[in-house]
Amino acid sequence: MTAEVLKYTLEQVEALELAPGAEHENLEGWVPTLASEDDLRQALEKAFDYRGDVTLTLKNGERIEAFIFNCQTGPTLAESWVQYFSPTSPDKRKVSYAEIARLEFSGKDRAAGKHWEDWVKNYNEKKAAGEKNIALVPDALD
Amino acid sequence: MWTVSTYVLKKKLAGNKRFPLVLMLEPLFRCSLACAGCGKVQYPPHILKKQLTPEECFAAVDECGAPMVSIPGGEPLLHPQIVEIVNGLIARKKYIYLCTNALELKRRLPEFTPSKYLTFSVHLDGQRDHHDFSVCREGGYDIAVDGIKEAVKRGFRVTTNATFFDGTDPNSVRAFFDEVMGMGVEGIILSPGYSYDKAPDQNHFMGRARVRRLFRAILSNRKPTWKFNMSPLFLEFLMGDRNYECVPWGMPTFNIFGWQKPCYLLQEGYTESYKELLETTKWEEYGVPSGNPKCANCMVSCGYETPAVIEGFGSWKGFVSMVRGTFNKYPDQHALKLLDDAASHASAPLVQIDQPDHALEETNA
Repeated sequence: MTAEVLKYTLEQVEALELAPGAEHENLEGWVPTLASEDDLRQALEKAFDYRGDVTLTLKNGERIEAFIFNCQTGPTLAESWVQYFSPTSPDKRKVSYAEIARLEFSGKDRAAGKHWEDWVKNYNEKKAAGEKNIALVPDALD
Repeated sequence: MWTVSTYVLKKKLAGNKRFPLVLMLEPLFRCSLACAGCGKVQYPPHILKKQLTPEECFAAVDECGAPMVSIPGGEPLLHPQIVEIVNGLIARKKYIYLCTNALELKRRLPEFTPSKYLTFSVHLDGQRDHHDFSVCREGGYDIAVDGIKEAVKRGFRVTTNATFFDGTDPNSVRAFFDEVMGMGVEGIILSPGYSYDKAPDQNHFMGRARVRRLFRAILSNRKPTWKFNMSPLFLEFLMGDRNYECVPWGMPTFNIFGWQKPCYLLQEGYTESYKELLETTKWEEYGVPSGNPKCANCMVSCGYETPAVIEGFGSWKGFVSMVRGTFNKYPDQHALKLLDDAASHASAPLVQIDQPDHALEETNA
């Protein structure tokens, strides 16, 4: 099983009352140290899960702002790649792990602060202040 | 029903091991709501501005070949070419479920033409207060209901779709069923929530035991007026009367990133073609028997309705069970007790944030 640990038996699954959710790390602003191949692989796996843009600096000095939505890992760095959209280009692009020198979680984490409890707190405060038509609005696109 | 049944039979007779039933076509991720916990719209602005072209949609539909196409999102009615996309799919004789929060429905309806192939599937999570709180917008229910009534009046096919999370009051859900059927909708679609790891909120998802108890309380002792736009066998699965294994390839997802591995809710990579999706996804790594913790609490229709449909149309025994399920009211004294217990704990119409675990807790279903 790829990057997974067999965690539950069938009996345990069927008896689950509440489902333990995934832990989300606070990665915004993080610049991982990429001292080894493992460091790079682990950091790019987190970048693949990250709900914001990252900045990749390639070994040739090029800097790419990217939303990474796909990755494939192979036996070597040269055979592993991430696929991304850049804000400045309409096309999907790929870059090999072997070309990446630096990674920064530079963009805003778009999932942060969007827990149910955040909404409940926000709602209760506004309600107590007498507000009407309380709502969360989508983030601005510009 | 005829289209789906002949499709399933043809695939089975042809010996197809894996085939799609519903294409989940996400033409964009942009949405007019900002529901807390939704994992479908948490993207940077440059991603939210992207959308599939009609040609990309048609190519995906043609390649996949599924007889039904569900169009979720994001909010599909925000796509400037959604009418062209819908008309192109109707021309291909695909049965379309356009999933909408209905905030724009009333305004956009004149652009669409009623068709047996087109159903507006309106997101309504419960009665007024519950829905508004669930979608984080006061007044959202009234706008959506306005849209539903106008669509029904204009001769469109309309269903509602609801997702239920921990803390849901089953009595309120049953009252909600009465309300929506009174609006003239064709049927109700429902699903338990699922804690897919992209969702920002991870604390309000039921495990399988609790899902079964909730749905047994909701779906037993059915009223004659209720109609469900779902496989009766899938509803029995939710109630705990049947067991199925996840069939993620039955409802493949296509969006701006490509064909999503392995299913509608997990995002573990993308392929460029449906063929590549089928051939390169390690299907054995998903579903409950795999032990994959990401699949542990999932009982969602995108994984479990396909096997129910295949059983229903794939054998006489399944077909008879399906017909029986369509007319069965599922009388169940224990489920009535579950409702009584829930009623004795209920204190407010909203999801009970501060005491999420009380309802249905002390039962032995």
